[in-house]
Amino acid sequence: MQSDRRRLNPPPGGTAPPVFATVPDAKPQRPTRTRKPDEHRKLFLRTGIVPSASGSAYYEIPPQQQQQTGLLVPQRSSLKITCTVHGPRPLPRNAAFSPNLLLSAHVKFAPFATHNRRGYVRDASERDLGAHLETALRGVVIGERFPKSGCEVVLTILDGEEDGWGAGGTEVKGGGWGIMTVLAGCITAASAALVDAGIDCVDLISGGVAAVKYAGRHGGQEDGVVVLDPAPSEHDGEIMAACVVGYLQSRDEVTEMWMKGDAGTQVQTLIDEAVKAASLVRAVLAEAVKDGVQAKVGEAEDEAAMAGSAKEGKGKRRCSGIYEAGHLDDLLVRTPF
Amino acid sequence: MIFISHVSAEEQPCSSQALQTLYDPKIWVTNQSGMDLSEAALGNLRFTVATVWVKSKRRQAAAAFPQKLVDGRQTVHTKGGKYNAHAPTGLAFSRETFAKLTPGPFLQAHLQQPEPIRPNGRSLHAFRTPTIHTGSLSHSNGSAVVRLGDTAVVCGVRAEILLAADIPHPPSEDTSEDDLVERLGLLVPNVELSTGCSPDHLPGNPPSTSAQALSYRVLSLMHTSNLIRPGDLSIQYMEPASDDDLPDEGPKTVTKAFWTLYIDVLCIALDGNPFDAAWAAVISALKSTRLPRAWWDPDREMVLCSPLANETHGLRLDDIPVASTFDVFSTGSALKQRSEAESWVLADPDGFEEGVCTETATVVVRSEDGDAGGITRLEKSGGGAIGKAAMGRCVHMAQQRWREWQGVLHGG
Repeated sequence: MQSDRRRLNPPPGGTAPPVFATVPDAKPQRPTRTRKPDEHRKLFLRTGIVPSASGSAYYEIPPQQQQQTGLLVPQRSSLKITCTVHGPRPLPRNAAFSPNLLLSAHVKFAPFATHNRRGYVRDASERDLGAHLETALRGVVIGERFPKSGCEVVLTILDGEEDGWGAGGTEVKGGGWGIMTVLAGCITAASAALVDAGIDCVDLISGGVAAVKYAGRHGGQEDGVVVLDPAPSEHDGEIMAACVVGYLQSRDEVTEMWMKGDAGTQVQTLIDEAVKAASLVRAVLAEAVKDGVQAKVGEAEDEAAMAGSAKEGKGKRRCSGIYEAGHLDDLLVRTPF
Repeated sequence: MIFISHVSAEEQPCSSQALQTLYDPKIWVTNQSGMDLSEAALGNLRFTVATVWVKSKRRQAAAAFPQKLVDGRQTVHTKGGKYNAHAPTGLAFSRETFAKLTPGPFLQAHLQQPEPIRPNGRSLHAFRTPTIHTGSLSHSNGSAVVRLGDTAVVCGVRAEILLAADIPHPPSEDTSEDDLVERLGLLVPNVELSTGCSPDHLPGNPPSTSAQALSYRVLSLMHTSNLIRPGDLSIQYMEPASDDDLPDEGPKTVTKAFWTLYIDVLCIALDGNPFDAAWAAVISALKSTRLPRAWWDPDREMVLCSPLANETHGLRLDDIPVASTFDVFSTGSALKQRSEAESWVLADPDGFEEGVCTETATVVVRSEDGDAGGITRLEKSGGGAIGKAAMGRCVHMAQQRWREWQGVLHGG
């Protein structure tokens, strides 16, 4: 790691992540996908967690049932994304005139978000994610209503999806499939935050991801099955191709598509499944956004009431629908002083 | 920027020109610490109680505050004597507008009431109730999420291995054990504010001076309070007996490697007082940290760790220091006599108060004989309004806060 002169640096000798010895008598079972190929994992989404920002949202896919193996390395990771939107704000004086809203998206993994510790300086994969997210959001924001203005969408990924399954003692292979699920989550979280900020959009955009898997070395289903919402730890070494879409359901438009790998003859099916995943996510997104707006309207009504009124404002907002709460729950509760 | 007028009572401008009062060229600019609340300015600006904040205590504050001024016919008691405000008509500002236009006089007007109250509804010495949640991150050895009102921080602790052979300048044999953690740099905290937590902290810029100062303050506090013992972080190896050894010497134990703790604190939402929240998050994360059992493998010449969860060990943190921050709002300025200035100490400032106050003090307290006692650190900067007596009161409040934190840290 380069030494960053504005931050506290590691010791000069350099450190290495711990290497775990294999324990012969405790062979953990690789987690397998227990849900159907067209079923999405439970999602948790809530808006309004950062009061000082124009809009904000918190997105989480909680970890699935953990097997009690007694091992340190987690079986399945969860995905936790925080998004804040600051804008529309006026552009600086020296900036050129722009008739549309200048949207800029920043994505950053927290240093503790992935298996290998990341630094504080944005690297290429984070800039790539930011570019994909900007493409997705540009198609949904009505830019011409905000001339000479800029909007910053800032995402922090507190817990990222792994690329594979690391608990078996084998190395976590690359392939970069975890980042596809992260991008889908980022699109959904950014959409919720934009609505919370009150920026005009043509529709709610939701992110969906699908993958083509083959039987691989673990046996199982036949080649070429397309699954929705692949969790890379469940499909270790089996994914051949994956696709992320940013989809507008009421207009049936795709604003962003990113496909990796070789899908062979299944390209159309892969895209269709990803769009189906996005539609499933949109249901949660709409519910969360509605809750957020209702809470805001409730607070505004309280503000309009006179001081003598005894009506208590909405301190705690209901969870979004039928989905279970995330683990960072008390992060989101706005309790009165 | 709004200008405060020093228009005397007789020259009170006509109420329909209330706005003109504010932009009158004869008005002079005061800097933030030289706030003076002009009777005329307040008397002419009638702001209604229509906009009331949702939290019930804020509503109390709003209800209590402009009672004198709502009507305009009341008598306004400010320093310098009574002043009869005439009934203003025409312009009325909401509370939010007033807070944005003149934050200093807004705060001062709250504090100058017979029962001083802050705009967020808390009393002068009330701290925000903290909430702590540990163990939510899946890739860290320890983690904590701390909420202090609207300020939320996440801390993750990652442990990596530093081999003793890689240390460029190994410490000599007679270095005291207490200094080992500092000498080797085994604790690497970083507080990151550029996460979009507030409109002033957007990503894309390197850390500002205040962010760098926060990281350094956390580091120096960890070192001076000897929070982590070097024994918890060292990986030792007992060398086997060889023929070269003298017969009466036992087996030697050598430290082959050290655990280095990367303590990363990310601020998710900022509403004042990042240091207290960051310190609490660091403490809670370190308390919940589990380090795997590690040993030196002589054949492979590397350190191996056991992946079993029941063979982990935690860090011994028996004496946890607790930090409390105070801000001081003062009406003093260079142009006035010091005796004329009034000042108030505000505990646990929020974002609005931090923007208005220049002077700040932090007191870190740890336990002494089982109860709150010893002062580990005392920092004060930005002004001269706090004297010894006020500082003593701050220390007393910090000790009270230590007791509150013990319940949260050990119960939660």
